[in-house]
Amino acid sequence: MTHGELEDAIPLYVIGALERSERQVLDAHLLSGCPSCHSALREFQAVATALPFGLDVVSPPRLLKASIMAAQASTVGHDTMGHTSDLPRLGPGKWMEHVSQPDSRSTIAWMNGVPKWIIGSAVAAAVAGSVAMAWIAHDSHVTDDSVALTQWKAQAASAASRSAELQRQLEEREQALLRAREELQRSLADTAELKDQLIQREAELDVLKTQLDLYEKRRARTPEDELAVLLRTQTVKAAVLAGTEAARDASGIFLYDHRTRKAWLYTLNLPACPAGTEYRLWLLNEKPVSVGAFRVGKGETSHLFVQSVPDFPGTKAFSVSLEPAGGGRQPAGVPYLRSSL
Amino acid sequence: MRQDPEQAVSTIEPALLSRVMKGEHQAFSLLYDLSGTLLYSLALKILGNREEAADLLQEIYLEIRKKSVRYDVGRGTPIAWLITLTRNRAVDRLRAGSIRAKRRSADLPNGSTAERAADQPSGSFDARADQELRRLILAAAAGLPSAQREAIEMAYYAGLSYADISSRLNQPPETVKTRIKLAMIKLREALQKDEERNIPS
Repeated sequence: MTHGELEDAIPLYVIGALERSERQVLDAHLLSGCPSCHSALREFQAVATALPFGLDVVSPPRLLKASIMAAQASTVGHDTMGHTSDLPRLGPGKWMEHVSQPDSRSTIAWMNGVPKWIIGSAVAAAVAGSVAMAWIAHDSHVTDDSVALTQWKAQAASAASRSAELQRQLEEREQALLRAREELQRSLADTAELKDQLIQREAELDVLKTQLDLYEKRRARTPEDELAVLLRTQTVKAAVLAGTEAARDASGIFLYDHRTRKAWLYTLNLPACPAGTEYRLWLLNEKPVSVGAFRVGKGETSHLFVQSVPDFPGTKAFSVSLEPAGGGRQPAGVPYLRSSL
Repeated sequence: MRQDPEQAVSTIEPALLSRVMKGEHQAFSLLYDLSGTLLYSLALKILGNREEAADLLQEIYLEIRKKSVRYDVGRGTPIAWLITLTRNRAVDRLRAGSIRAKRRSADLPNGSTAERAADQPSGSFDARADQELRRLILAAAAGLPSAQREAIEMAYYAGLSYADISSRLNQPPETVKTRIKLAMIKLREALQKDEERNIPS
């Protein structure tokens, strides 16, 4: 809106004839302190204020003042009740409200936010007010006031009815709140159960992962698998190893395949390795070649050893001797098994 | 309580409201005596229902007493504040729709003679300044074209925007805006001329 349009809108503004959006724009402009618009506002405000003076004069019921005074007295101590309006703020605009905190409210909206005991107090005050009014009505104005008294009784009945309705609404809300709480508790219980199930599934998953890892490790290393592959190989050859003087009860069988260069050694009744020693398998050719080392633990009667071996077309025999751990290139220890091809 | 006959509604002093806000019982009583009739007439005109009008007045005066609403001297005269507060609250109720049916059944033709005789105590709203203002605004309103007067009444007493009035009267919005603006300007001129006459030379 241009300034001219804003200024033109002031006559409509002061009597509440602007649309909400236009009123808000003008409110904002007036807050900027525009002198010419404020001058126009004052002039047209005076017109708006004068309009009700042209109405036919109708005095309020004589008992209204007594009722206000009685209600005011009964609400002492409850002045700090906070309540806001559910009703829309209607025109004229904010500047025309002339109030620092324009709190629009209806009796019904006001009562919605009031606790039961205050409603009860208000009803009691209304009854007390009716009694007071009845006393005041006993005056020279009995005829005039009897109509008003009837009206106020009707109002009291209406207020009681309204109070009952509010009570009913309050109870409905409490019921709804209770249901919502129960629903929330059920949801929380369901959530907790699902969480437990999730934790359980995660634990199971961990176990399965561990088992899978173990299985894969075992599968990668298992000599049985290697043996199975070797036994299915058509070019595999076998040799028997016999125990030496150092271990007469010991024996062994040696399988090997030239093509894949895999060898498999199965031993029986080898003594357990003393600390710092290990058994070493040798290919005996012109000079011995170490194939690998293995340990036999205490109580073990058999041992399976699989190893890739170097090419040994000229090998005549195999032997297993007990050597210092990490021993040298030549056999230095006592032989325990020996075979010849 | 009977107020001073020369104490006018239209010239309520800010000091009176200040005393009310400080909790002075007599000041509150005087404020009601001065303004009650005008505000009730306004509420009744808008709401068209005596019970609702009385209920609204009770609500407003109690809020004033409890300081739930506050007068700001920088934004107009006390009576302008009271009138605007009453008018806005009444329109709020009217738009809330709860009293439309009652309004139809109990509509009053702007306060009939019988109504006034039953309700009006002597001494209310009869100060010379108030009567002069009343005479002035009635004369100025009577001088307005009926279409302009109707537009003003629909906006001010029925709480309708110019767009609402436009659709009710089946007239272009700009026409309604112009009617309201012209009417307000004429009323303003009438008030200003009266002020100029009353300024001593």
